[in-house]
Amino acid sequence: MRNPEIEARCQRFMDALAHVRKLGLRVIKANERRVTLVLPVQDQLKSDKTTTYLLGGALTTLIDTASAVSTLCVLPEFEIAPTLDLRIDHMKAPEKNQPLYIQAECYRTTRSVMFTRATVYQTSVDEPVAFGIGTFMRLGADVVDPKMKALVEGEIESYDDNGDVES
Amino acid sequence: MISLEQTVAKAHETGDYNPLIELIPYANVIGVNCERFGEEMVFRLPRNPDNLGNPTLPAIHGGVIAAFMELSAAFQVLLQTTTPELPKIIDFSVDYMRAGLDRDTFAMCQLERQGRRVTNCSVIAWQEKRTEPIATARAHFLVKPN
Repeated sequence: MRNPEIEARCQRFMDALAHVRKLGLRVIKANERRVTLVLPVQDQLKSDKTTTYLLGGALTTLIDTASAVSTLCVLPEFEIAPTLDLRIDHMKAPEKNQPLYIQAECYRTTRSVMFTRATVYQTSVDEPVAFGIGTFMRLGADVVDPKMKALVEGEIESYDDNGDVES
Repeated sequence: MISLEQTVAKAHETGDYNPLIELIPYANVIGVNCERFGEEMVFRLPRNPDNLGNPTLPAIHGGVIAAFMELSAAFQVLLQTTTPELPKIIDFSVDYMRAGLDRDTFAMCQLERQGRRVTNCSVIAWQEKRTEPIATARAHFLVKPN
């Protein structure tokens, strides 16, 4: 698969997740091994009451999402891969009013399990805000919801489309 | 301007913990709330279509479940210690046991160790039965001494 096709597939997967739409996460780039996403600056995550804990929790969602999306970069066919576990280390508090970027990589795939690592940063990937490592369970391409697969592969526009997908 | 300690004291007195939850914007975005039962705090994440991930089941976004548990732990630390600042997360680890379905989710936290600067907190999240958790987690926080 060419990189623009992988990028489009990742974005379609993300757009199928209601909460990811709510946060407006976007794919910046992707290849067959890793993906870079951005969490844009947004009013709903701003607070004038605190400086240090601005993005508490939202960073966790960002890392979980990017790690899951990185598994899509590797798989030849779309599969549902639920998260087994996720660990996050926080290097420093992010700057207010700057977008958060994340580079996530699926570095090892076996028949049953996929391993991911991710770096969250703002100005440069060499100045990390947080690291995340995750493990995902492969359920296999044969147990995929056909509608979800058609959506991710760009065959239908939205999950509520009834299209011509056979189940 | 009232201090964090005063806000915590007032929340314990009135049983209204919303002013604390409002301190963390993402806790409002996903809709965390909490209630006190005697000495125990139970955190609740009400069913919310905006929190869904995989539309197939449908299931709550795994990141939202993890964030809910992390924020619950942060609030537990804040409520159980007298600190002039919000606890700062150092690390967080979550194990997922079951899919979080499109219904209310609950969490309870336990401070396993309170050191002079660092506090260890474990979290359990469930939907139907506490004995069938959807996820367990633990976190370390830096807590500024009073």
